Amino acid sequence: MVKLIARPLDRKLLRDVWRMRIHAAAVALVLGCGLSVYIMSVGMRASLERTRADYYADYRMMHLAASLVRAPDRVAADLERIPEVAAIETRISGYALLDVPQIVEPASARLISLPLGGRPRINDLAMVRGRWPDPAKADEAIVSEAFATALDIRIGANLAATIHGRRHVLTIVGIANSPEFVFVSAPGELFPQPERFGVVWMGRTALARAFDMSGAFNDAIFRLSPGADDQRVRSAIDEVLRAFGSSGAYGRDRMMSDRFLSEEIKQLTTMAIFLPAFFLVIAAFLVNIALGRVIATERSNIGLLKAFGYSDLAVAWHYAKSALMFGLIGASLGSIAGVVLGRAIADIYRDYYHFPALAFSAGLLTFAGAWAAAIVAVSIGAIFSVWRAVRLAPAEALAPPRPAVYSRSSGMLARFAARLDAKSRIILRRIQRFPRRAATTVIGIALAIALLVVAGAFPAVMTQLLSVHFSVANRQDVTLSFVAPREIGVMHAVAHLPGVISAEPFRADDVVLRHGRLEVREAVLGLPFNARLSRLIGSDGQAVEPPVAGIALARALAAKLHAGPGDEIEIEQVSGRRVQARIRVSAIVDPMVGSSAYMNIEDLGRLFREPGRISGAHLSLDPARYAAFNAQIKETPALAGASFLRQAERSMRRAFDEGVGVMNYLYIAFAAVMAGGVAFSAARVTMAEQERDLATLRVLGFTRGEASYVLVGELFVLALLAVPLGCVLGTVLGIWLMRLFQTDMYSFTFIFNPGGYAFAIAFTLACVAIASFIVRLGIDRLDMVGVLKARD
Amino acid sequence: MTIAAETDPSPAFHTIRLSKVYGDGPTAVHALRDVDLDVAQGELIVLLGPSGSGKSTLLNILGGLDRASSGEVWFHQTALNAMRERALTDFRRRHIGFIFQFYNLIPSLTARENVDLVREIAEDPLSAEEALDLVGLAERMDHFPAQLSGGEQQRVAVARAIAKRPAVLLCDEPTGALDLKTGVRVLEALVEINKRYRSTTLIVTHNADVARLGERVIHFSDGRIRTIETNAVRAPPSELKW
Repeated sequence: MVKLIARPLDRKLLRDVWRMRIHAAAVALVLGCGLSVYIMSVGMRASLERTRADYYADYRMMHLAASLVRAPDRVAADLERIPEVAAIETRISGYALLDVPQIVEPASARLISLPLGGRPRINDLAMVRGRWPDPAKADEAIVSEAFATALDIRIGANLAATIHGRRHVLTIVGIANSPEFVFVSAPGELFPQPERFGVVWMGRTALARAFDMSGAFNDAIFRLSPGADDQRVRSAIDEVLRAFGSSGAYGRDRMMSDRFLSEEIKQLTTMAIFLPAFFLVIAAFLVNIALGRVIATERSNIGLLKAFGYSDLAVAWHYAKSALMFGLIGASLGSIAGVVLGRAIADIYRDYYHFPALAFSAGLLTFAGAWAAAIVAVSIGAIFSVWRAVRLAPAEALAPPRPAVYSRSSGMLARFAARLDAKSRIILRRIQRFPRRAATTVIGIALAIALLVVAGAFPAVMTQLLSVHFSVANRQDVTLSFVAPREIGVMHAVAHLPGVISAEPFRADDVVLRHGRLEVREAVLGLPFNARLSRLIGSDGQAVEPPVAGIALARALAAKLHAGPGDEIEIEQVSGRRVQARIRVSAIVDPMVGSSAYMNIEDLGRLFREPGRISGAHLSLDPARYAAFNAQIKETPALAGASFLRQAERSMRRAFDEGVGVMNYLYIAFAAVMAGGVAFSAARVTMAEQERDLATLRVLGFTRGEASYVLVGELFVLALLAVPLGCVLGTVLGIWLMRLFQTDMYSFTFIFNPGGYAFAIAFTLACVAIASFIVRLGIDRLDMVGVLKARD
Repeated sequence: MTIAAETDPSPAFHTIRLSKVYGDGPTAVHALRDVDLDVAQGELIVLLGPSGSGKSTLLNILGGLDRASSGEVWFHQTALNAMRERALTDFRRRHIGFIFQFYNLIPSLTARENVDLVREIAEDPLSAEEALDLVGLAERMDHFPAQLSGGEQQRVAVARAIAKRPAVLLCDEPTGALDLKTGVRVLEALVEINKRYRSTTLIVTHNADVARLGERVIHFSDGRIRTIETNAVRAPPSELKW
């Protein structure tokens, strides 16, 4: 190293970099921000994928699953004979209402039987504390860790459960996690509410007795041989189980927990690409600005080096090295910050998903990728300036540069220029004369504004989503789901539950929708006309009535089916009578959450030949009788679950705050770094370029303030030009990003949020103002004589 | 102001034991040592001496671009050494026209606009046309600096300096970067202006022949005034050679 920097040119290089330290810091910070997000996202994605794969492998996560009404145990042997099925396990599964003294509302749980022979061969449990239930003791159970933690359920605690209409008291002997339930949410809920929904594992015999399932099963899970044809196995399973009321075997893509994980991984990928790319572009801009200036001031040195006999390549390498040093500093910064950030995010994930182990680790390739990206970005930024140095002939470089050739404006601009004072004309002509340099500054500032606009859009979009979903679409206090469909007459009893002010029925059916060769499995919801509690949302974010005839599709669903209003699609019930019918799409609706299909409840009943059957009810409650209502429903065996809207809203808000919220602060912080970096670099370069003009103005008798006008004015004109560009760019990026982040579960639409734009503009302009102010101090220190007597 | 300065019988500049030291301790550089000088209003003086002899330092202190380390410097009845930064700026604005070796025109403004620049802050300026006419550049008023030769650029700088009709013209190596022919044209303009407006004119040069132009010639070396000569007969610029 000592030897490396001992060469005079290298010493010069280090001094050059030190002289450019503000630029170097700006480039390094911007690169550091971008690369830290890259390393965090790519590393986190790999860590999540690896952890998921290990977890699934270690605990033998199922490949396929099928739910059915009831099949005798002997059917298991038929399933086992299906080629390419490596293992099969039959289970008894159901839901129970739990009476947990810690909370007023009933909690509910998914009950799953443990095999008679001991530990599950598929979907094994990762025991956190306690032991496995004693098969001889019917009341022993294991609960999921998140649920136990949320409700402070300890080993040895008792839990009152209403299973299949009968009350049981369970003794908790173990607390565990399962690869099947990395992400746990109650049916019909989007986000985990660990204090209201959990998983309970019990002995097969006990659960069979509770569900009247002795000698039978209602759930089958499969592991396949390596390289198995998933589709073929599914068909074979369906063939065996169809007679037993199976709604069809399905793969991991339809398992809620895995789907959520996959969505998360997809979003990390989006983040790994979008934000870093943005920052790398900015870093390239900053290098271009800084190095361009250095090479302009180093003109005579370049001439000298060449006159001494240094080759063009040696000169180019000398200047390229300073850019590379910026890049390396940025890459180091980004690598450190990326690991710190990754570890912090891994903690959040670990708490959220309850993985047995999740450690952030970014592979060598990830770091290599980041460093390579940094080097490519700074090289692209440096290439034009370095090329200029290469092209400079030594004689030309040694002669003083000719003053920049300006020309008069023409047309409107000339008339405008004529009306300006000389100082303003200097600003105008400089911008006109160096459009590329001005454009660089404008684009840099515009990108900072754009990033802030995007960052500002996310909370607005979330707020909009929550407000439409929870204030316009869903105004019920609670949604009750029945264990099995009931006659509409049950609404009378529902309306007479304590504290019910109004009640609306709904029907929900799992269906397969087909259009041409496209096929989607979704839910179709039947809603009454003139609903006041749970309503459909039209494209303007306002409530609309369910279709008078035909079926309405959520926009995301319509897109998947390539179907629009007027198209006829096929609908098939996946359970019950398995009615198949053709139906016309009558409207596209825009629910913010979920992507179901919708019909009016009478049509849906008729279509499936079960008129007057309902799946549950939405209720509005008298808050004064909340406790009485809850006490009553805890005792109601016909209920599979009760979803409380305010709690759902809270859990959704929490999920957003933890995920989007954290990222958003990061975005804003990074956008601030970017805006600051661009503003500083631009101000420094403008100052350096204008030094002579500013000194001239000062010598002529212009005050500091008057001279500053030329410097600050130019920056502000460019910043103002950047404002509309940044807003447009931010909007386009925002719309694009919302689309990327779109999932089956939410549809994000970009919101024009004036406050967000105002913040983005004000913040960036403030950065420019602060940068100009600090750089302007240089005018006070300007060595007028020194500058003016020096040859440029 | 120009008028007031013209009618004031006191010397335009009066310095008493003026010294300037850059740095301190063993590395201190004494640029000026105890300079006593009177410059009469309207006088044309040539400051001659090798590089580093102190002539430019004196010029800068007289023009309010730099401050003396000790001693006094008076412009008529005003002590410049007591002035704050803001007042010095105002002093330059009202009374001083500077001309440097490297022209220092604003490249983004035409010749006319460069002159207009000072007209914006002067109280009773010449028109840009008059000023440029005086230096023989009426024809090239709408050219940008890059479109002018070195001599022409320097003449624009002269026009810009005289447009505000300054009481004082301070010229630091005005012909240093020019060939004989163009240098002569610039000097002619300076002499003409000195004659026409009675502007006190100080020209710093290390070209001994230029000294024949001045009413007095002050020889500098090592930060001190060595001799002051008075030219009985002043040579016209056209006779100068370098």
